[in-house]
Amino acid sequence: MSLSQKQLQLIKRILWTVSLLIVAVPFVFPFLWMVSSGFKNAAEIFGQPSLFPAVWRWQNFLDVFDHQPFAQQYFNSLYISAAVTVITLVISSLAGYALARLRFAGSALLMLFLISALMVPEEVTIIPNFFLIRWMGLMDTHMPLILLPVFGAHGVMATFLMRQYFVALPKELEEAGKMDGLSRVGIWWKIAIPMSRPALAAVAIITFLHSWNLFLEPLVFLSSLEKFTLPLALSNFTDAYGLPLWHLQLAATTLAVIPILGVYLIAQRQIIESFAMSGVKG
Amino acid sequence: MTPSEKTATMAHATRVPWLTLRRKEAFEAWLFVSPTLIGFIIFFLGPLIAVGLYSLTEWNLLSQESTFVGVENFRDALTVNPDFWLVVRNSALFALGLVPMNMALALTLALALSRPFFGVVFFRTIFFAPVITSAVAWAIVWKFLLQGEAGAVNQLLASIGIDGPNWLREPDWAMFAVIVTRVIKMVGLNMILYIAALQAIPRDYEQAAQLEGASRWQIFHMVIWPLLAPTTLIIMVITTIGSFKVFDHIYLMTGGGPENGTLVLAYYIYQQGFEFFNVGYASALAIIMFVIVLALTIVQLILRQKGSG
Amino acid sequence: MTSLALSNLAKSFGPVKVIRDIDLTIEDGEFVVFVGPSGCGKSTLLRMIAGLEDITSGDLMIGERRMNEVSASKRGVAMVFQSYALYPHLTVRRNMGFGLKVRKMPATDIKQRVDDASATLKLDALMDRYPRELSGGQRQRVAIGRAIVGNPDVFLFDEPLSNLDAELRVHMRAEISALHGRLGNTMIYVTHDQIEAMTLADRIVVLRDGRIEQVGTPRELYARPANVFVAQFIGSPKMNVCAAGSLATQLEGVDFDLKAATQIGIRPEHLKIVPPDDGLLQGRVIVSEYTGAGSLLHIEVEGAGTFLVVQEGQAGAEKGERIGLSFSSENMHLFDGSDFAI
Repeated sequence: MSLSQKQLQLIKRILWTVSLLIVAVPFVFPFLWMVSSGFKNAAEIFGQPSLFPAVWRWQNFLDVFDHQPFAQQYFNSLYISAAVTVITLVISSLAGYALARLRFAGSALLMLFLISALMVPEEVTIIPNFFLIRWMGLMDTHMPLILLPVFGAHGVMATFLMRQYFVALPKELEEAGKMDGLSRVGIWWKIAIPMSRPALAAVAIITFLHSWNLFLEPLVFLSSLEKFTLPLALSNFTDAYGLPLWHLQLAATTLAVIPILGVYLIAQRQIIESFAMSGVKG
Repeated sequence: MTPSEKTATMAHATRVPWLTLRRKEAFEAWLFVSPTLIGFIIFFLGPLIAVGLYSLTEWNLLSQESTFVGVENFRDALTVNPDFWLVVRNSALFALGLVPMNMALALTLALALSRPFFGVVFFRTIFFAPVITSAVAWAIVWKFLLQGEAGAVNQLLASIGIDGPNWLREPDWAMFAVIVTRVIKMVGLNMILYIAALQAIPRDYEQAAQLEGASRWQIFHMVIWPLLAPTTLIIMVITTIGSFKVFDHIYLMTGGGPENGTLVLAYYIYQQGFEFFNVGYASALAIIMFVIVLALTIVQLILRQKGSG
Repeated sequence: MTSLALSNLAKSFGPVKVIRDIDLTIEDGEFVVFVGPSGCGKSTLLRMIAGLEDITSGDLMIGERRMNEVSASKRGVAMVFQSYALYPHLTVRRNMGFGLKVRKMPATDIKQRVDDASATLKLDALMDRYPRELSGGQRQRVAIGRAIVGNPDVFLFDEPLSNLDAELRVHMRAEISALHGRLGNTMIYVTHDQIEAMTLADRIVVLRDGRIEQVGTPRELYARPANVFVAQFIGSPKMNVCAAGSLATQLEGVDFDLKAATQIGIRPEHLKIVPPDDGLLQGRVIVSEYTGAGSLLHIEVEGAGTFLVVQEGQAGAEKGERIGLSFSSENMHLFDGSDFAI
């Protein structure tokens, strides 16, 4: 029996899809397991693994808040990420605009300077920054978690992303603005910024996630529980003997991950494009 | 005097202001870049210089004393301290395992997902999801899944008759486990970079090759792959540098263990600086890391120049 | 009263001089066209007047004031850009009123001015649309409208018609000309199209390599080009120029005074086809292009190269035909060894 071209195509297609589904397992499985284990009790977690808990223990999600000031920590993460995002948007689009459009002695050198920072990991400068922050009296505050991402490699990346976008905008619009009497800030704010929404959205998305997921800086600079951000809080679910409280930790992790994942599922196209635009991360 | 000469002299008499349009533009430019620049100097450039200076001192935070010791810390790392070469070996292993695995998987997925078909968005969304997930959450869940007996992975393997190792407690398996879980976390990023590059290749090339009777493999090998070369280069360097930066993943999954089997450079710097308070030594390590990253960046720039030249 | 005076105006990008020693006076109400091949500096010169490029040396006077260091918006000029440069995020109405709003004019006055301009340009039906919803010609009109509302002393046009199709271009050309008649402002217009220059200008400024080659009315430039470049740039098809020596024998005996000319130029439309033996020159048709109203002939003239000849009517010489060419001495242009007209 011979198959027609069309049937062959169909079989190929099905085989492809099945193999993709198999590859997808380790990508999806951790999320499913995280959620289901968040509902299990301490005993069941170490019993025979099952995707669905025998008893759905909602209590875990309340216990999370007793074990740590989790609501406060959640809020910390939110407001810090929002602050980092807003500040990064403003200063990276200002600097990116100047680097794209304005002529000034030293701009090429400045670019080179900034490029050199792009790749440098924060581990390289974390030690002097520790002393700097301590000298400034900002230990155990949220300031370093705002200042370091804004002015470090991540801020530079945002500046470049904005610059690349501004360079590609038609220059004549800004010249028309100039003829219309706009000041330099006016041109930036009323013409360049409104035309750069895709780039601004990309910077906002990447910056927010970067700040939201930051771990090294909170680990180094924070010591009080109520100052913790989510990643640090998540790593901190242990019992009195330092052993992990898996059911609480996974419930807390679920609470931290699911909202972001939800936003991602709604805006996946936009978010994926933002990362494609940046091209530099990881 | 001709009329035009006359206007010229008159005009010069009507003073040239100091703040010419050119100077104004430059002034405004510096104003625009100043927030970024000042912050950059304070929180990046200054610290970078400082870490260079620290690296030349013997400075233990507990003793509160620092003395200039020249390149002693570097000599210590390279010739005395056995941990250092272990760390270098681990970092190299990590990079050598992670980069090819990540790139091969990323390219395979990209090739499968670069053309529209039913479900393509679904798969892209799934493969990218770990990228936006916090490394901490990812590490916590995988640490849980990879536990010795009770871990879901081993239970799964047991169900098909395989006796899985205690992943994170055996040195060789631990390295393998952190690499694979990291690849799963980050492969989506390279995948979308490859997808973007693939979609930028005009279909004409492929169709022309098809008309000439090339097989699918030939098309990939002789048309697509060479056209992807610049992207491959960038991805390779970014991924390699990224592999040197990995800290949270290892901190949470293995804590550098077992028997320092997953102690990599980024974690070693943290450990020396913030757990053992050897500021001088940790700074020397940071400088070594900086040099490695810089070298990789320069290699990339040179290769890219060659590629375009 | 808005005249412009450019004296010794120059601009360089580093060592590259793009505009050199421009001396030019433009009278109030004059329509001046800068024309030249691409890269001649005409747009740069216009943008220097607008304030979008800075001036390396020399003086720019608009009215009585030296404008070199005055910002673009305070020079009393308005510009229509080649790409129209309409703000994509604003409606037509807000595009046109934008400059006035920036200058803090009261909203009622802005509305008045914008409405006036839209009436003048017949834009009323489009006022609430966005630029992306307009056709090329409509965008062009809005761009002009935006320039009008500011009531500028001087209008600057930077190749405004180059993005339009041929038919619309002819139409808009007439509209701009009518606009100049109605408003009476000083206008400076940049184009690479010599037909546009000829039809619109009171005076044409021909530029090449950042220098002025000649300034004059369209008729002057056509009848008395100052050099070979202008002679060949103005007029279509372009003027035939050949070495004087190659025609000396043919023109011997006729009463043509070649003076010290080393080159002779004759426009294609001034050459007449005659029977081979009656002509001053003899040649053979190598290409004959029928254009409808007539034919454009490429004629190989012995010893003098290829001549273009416009032949009117439907007769149309055949390829390969031997013909004679005649012309009158007043239509002959004489140039010296350095390309200057004698």
